[in-house]
Amino acid sequence: MIEARNLHKRFGAVTAVEDVSFTARDGVITGLLGPNGAGKTTTLRMLYTLVRPDGGTALVDGVDVVQRPEDARRALGVLPDARGLYPRLTAREHARYYGELHGLSGAVLDKRVDELIELLDMKDIADRRAEGFSQGQRVKVALARALVHGPRNVLLDEPTNGLDVMSTRAVRTLLRQLKAEGRCVVFSSHVMQEVAALCDRIVVVAHGRVVADGTPDELRARTGKDSLEEAFVATIGSEQGLMQ
Amino acid sequence: MRHLAGTVFRKELKDHLRDRRSVLTAVMFPLLGPVVFLVMFNLLASWYRQDRPLELPVVGREHAPSLMAFLERYGATLKEAPADYEALIRSGTLDAVLIVPEDYGKEFSSGRTAEVQLVVDSSRQSARHSTLRARRLLEAYAGLLGNQRLYARGIAPELAIPVRVEELDLSTPERTAAGVLNMVPLFLVLAAFAGGMQLASDTMAGERERGSLEPLLLNPAPRGAVVAGKWMATVTMAAGAVLLTLVGYLLVVRRVPLEDLGVKARFDAPAALGMAAAVLPLTLAASSVQMWVSTYARSFKEAQTYLSLLMVVPMLPGMVLALSPLQTKLWMFAVPVLGQELLAGEVMRGEALGPLPFFIAAASSLAVAALALRITSRLLTQERIIFGRG
Repeated sequence: MIEARNLHKRFGAVTAVEDVSFTARDGVITGLLGPNGAGKTTTLRMLYTLVRPDGGTALVDGVDVVQRPEDARRALGVLPDARGLYPRLTAREHARYYGELHGLSGAVLDKRVDELIELLDMKDIADRRAEGFSQGQRVKVALARALVHGPRNVLLDEPTNGLDVMSTRAVRTLLRQLKAEGRCVVFSSHVMQEVAALCDRIVVVAHGRVVADGTPDELRARTGKDSLEEAFVATIGSEQGLMQ
Repeated sequence: MRHLAGTVFRKELKDHLRDRRSVLTAVMFPLLGPVVFLVMFNLLASWYRQDRPLELPVVGREHAPSLMAFLERYGATLKEAPADYEALIRSGTLDAVLIVPEDYGKEFSSGRTAEVQLVVDSSRQSARHSTLRARRLLEAYAGLLGNQRLYARGIAPELAIPVRVEELDLSTPERTAAGVLNMVPLFLVLAAFAGGMQLASDTMAGERERGSLEPLLLNPAPRGAVVAGKWMATVTMAAGAVLLTLVGYLLVVRRVPLEDLGVKARFDAPAALGMAAAVLPLTLAASSVQMWVSTYARSFKEAQTYLSLLMVVPMLPGMVLALSPLQTKLWMFAVPVLGQELLAGEVMRGEALGPLPFFIAAASSLAVAALALRITSRLLTQERIIFGRG
């Protein structure tokens, strides 16, 4: 479970995140939806401890990210905005490296890496060097290394960005599976259809604030609109950035 | 923590060794020093080698048979000068040409001063030795004949020499050779910097540029362990370069006529071990500073530029030492780079030093390494470093 409590962050004169609070429960996919520049990435970075909030904090399974960042990271699997690979390592070596950094080794690690290769359907690239991987293959490797330690909480920053239809489907299937396993899944997106297709719960962020929070049905009911898209536009107050 | 650092270390080394081009560079550079050494020494030896006969092309040999006989008796190989001798001297093919004018015999027999010409190019360093030998032979001949003429008139030749100038040439081949030999410590220290340069650029600046730094820092591993692992990999490459350079020198030194040049230098296995003990601790400091610099750089390219500039640091004391050896004081060993260059130089000259200077030099390198690693670890907690500066 992830709880964000009044997160606030400024970079110089620019306020990136004004005040963001929400709760993402286990076994639920929570979507952070908002136009580009709304503060989604900064919010996620504060959750996964690489950006220190200027105010507020967040709890990952009850662990404070500001006070115990290393323990918080242990409970998190993250697909960040930057998903660079090592061109001279194979897909399997990427997963193994991260597994070892999480303290796994030996047969446990071997088994876990094999499971992920199966789960992400990457047998064909498992022992190829990452040099020349397609965008979809790169995301699979990045997901494998993010999930190698079997985290209870999974954060993904625009996971389907730049992917083709097949890879997007694969990512969606994976997120549903993580949810079925009872994990807490949070992902950010600026694509309304993406969020509508996956999320049980939607947190709409605009100008660094949470402007709406609820199930798709709740959002529709609150704004009095029939379609989710109309509901978003009404919530945010502009059409900017909501369409792909 | 140690376990995690080991994981990072193994990954970095494996990753780096798969990059064939950068490994090739890492191997080529350390061998550069020994090759320069080999070429310079053989060149020096060929300039100075005394047993080589003096080759002297002559124009108009038939005009001065007794002079020719004298020159040949004293080891000169005479031959007919080619027509384009001036061009050949300018181009360096010939060192000097002797010209005996037609009226040499007439002037000589009438007891006047007969003239010969020695055509040389004084700007050509390699010809200087031959020129000097030819001139000395000619002067010896003139002196001999002058003495005979005075004797024939019943005059002691000494009367005609109120002052005798004896030249003491201090620029011996030994000194020149020692100058070249002083480059050995410089190249060893350069290897300590060059060996890890590629890996240091790639492991920090490169890691961020390709977008793998952020995911890496998402692991629960402490920053210190990540930095330590990367540092150990850099040190390994740097130490490899230093050892490779040493082996290169050991192999080359057998093919170099050190004794011909009268150079006093130890280059046996114990001396090599001593030099390794002197220079290897420097790799700890050099690699850590390289990583620190690389963490600041915006890109791999920028890191390489900075680290190339950093290589100038060991060049400065090295150049000064190669040109004019310092009076060594104990505190100098505590200055990283300078200390190692001094130590390696002393070991090479076969001085007995005792363990203290080695200890001082290693301790100062360790201190620098600890400081730079600490700063680098701290940098990795800063947002502008992790995400790059816009």
